[in-house]
Amino acid sequence: MRLIHRSPRAANAVRTVSPSGELFVASVVMCMILAAFGDAVDPTVFGELGLEYAIFDLGGEFSVLAMRHWDLLQLLLAGSVLATGIMVLRIVVGAFYQPLEPAPPQGVEKVPIKL
Amino acid sequence: MDIDFFSAGFLSALLAIVLIDLVLAGDNALIIGLVARNLPKESQNKVIFWGTFGAIAIRAFMAIIVVYILAVPGFMLVGGLALVWIARKLLTPEGGNEESHLAKPATTFAGAVRTIVIADAVMGVDNVLAIGGAAHGSVLLIVLGLAISVPIIVWGSKLVIKLVDRYPSVILLGGAVLAWTAYTMIIREPFLAAWFEAHPATKLVVAVLIFSISLAPWYSERLSPQLKPLVVLLPALLLWMLAFEVAASAWKVQVDYLLATTEGEYILEGLRWIGWVPLAALFLWVREQFLLRNRRAARDTR
Repeated sequence: MRLIHRSPRAANAVRTVSPSGELFVASVVMCMILAAFGDAVDPTVFGELGLEYAIFDLGGEFSVLAMRHWDLLQLLLAGSVLATGIMVLRIVVGAFYQPLEPAPPQGVEKVPIKL
Repeated sequence: MDIDFFSAGFLSALLAIVLIDLVLAGDNALIIGLVARNLPKESQNKVIFWGTFGAIAIRAFMAIIVVYILAVPGFMLVGGLALVWIARKLLTPEGGNEESHLAKPATTFAGAVRTIVIADAVMGVDNVLAIGGAAHGSVLLIVLGLAISVPIIVWGSKLVIKLVDRYPSVILLGGAVLAWTAYTMIIREPFLAAWFEAHPATKLVVAVLIFSISLAPWYSERLSPQLKPLVVLLPALLLWMLAFEVAASAWKVQVDYLLATTEGEYILEGLRWIGWVPLAALFLWVREQFLLRNRRAARDTR
């Protein structure tokens, strides 16, 4: 028996996790996958394509390439920054735009979206 | 791995070891309590001390042995695959409170200490494998990691329980770190390192494959019933793509359409990109039939 299984909340972490905690871990996982993506890009591509690649690249690939050597601490930091950014964006967007609500499935409205 | 104190790499590996130790720690207090409950009061304190000491010693010894075993070609891959399963099991929700079948009440002092040490060794196999992988071959990191986490687990188990109870996301983070460790172990495998260098794009496929299998209990909880088959289809599709890349290397066939020249190579390329569609459709149809049959059986029994 694991120590964490003494807590019912921890034993069912996938169900009991808070939305913010989940967003943080999901952001860390995204950063880990991006780092693996940077690891998967062949650096010789830059040598072959040179300036043309640099001009048409949006900067994304360069950032991802830098992530290939990142360690866990850096991934955790990047994940927390990403999670904070998403949270702020949700709050700001939520203040200006009303989210759409689906109409009840048995409702009589023709358009199944209520504004 | 070069040990550079307080570098990001060193601290990251240490953090990974401590986190893995915390989330995969066995419940030593429960084991000791179960084993020592039939002993006289005066022997119980001695059993607690020597049982804890023996458990720590065997854990450190196993972790150091694992570092050397992982250096043997082939074991890094096996260890990485085992970690994928361990991460998946960690995230799978538990049903009820089960008592460890390893801990039987002992009647003698030596028997009690032996039972505690064996139970800890059996429970800690996954733990030492994970920290062996996260330590990147450094014995110093393992010793430091154990020196930090073992006292926390032994004397601060209530604190650990409070922490994971307040923040269950620590368990999810532990699962993600285990999956990341599994990925780094698999791509460091000496048998495969040259192949990964020659096929760098497959590293990304392997990473997504590992995360999609390890974290499946988490994301499947968030999927609607119609999307649940994705838990099987996504890893299966990645395995399909990977299998073609491996086959291309093993049998020297061309699977890249830009380099294909013969009709056979074009057919192979078509099979690679479209061939999985009928298999996925067959899987969905069989699954649907099973669900319908189960629903019908449930209705009939009512």
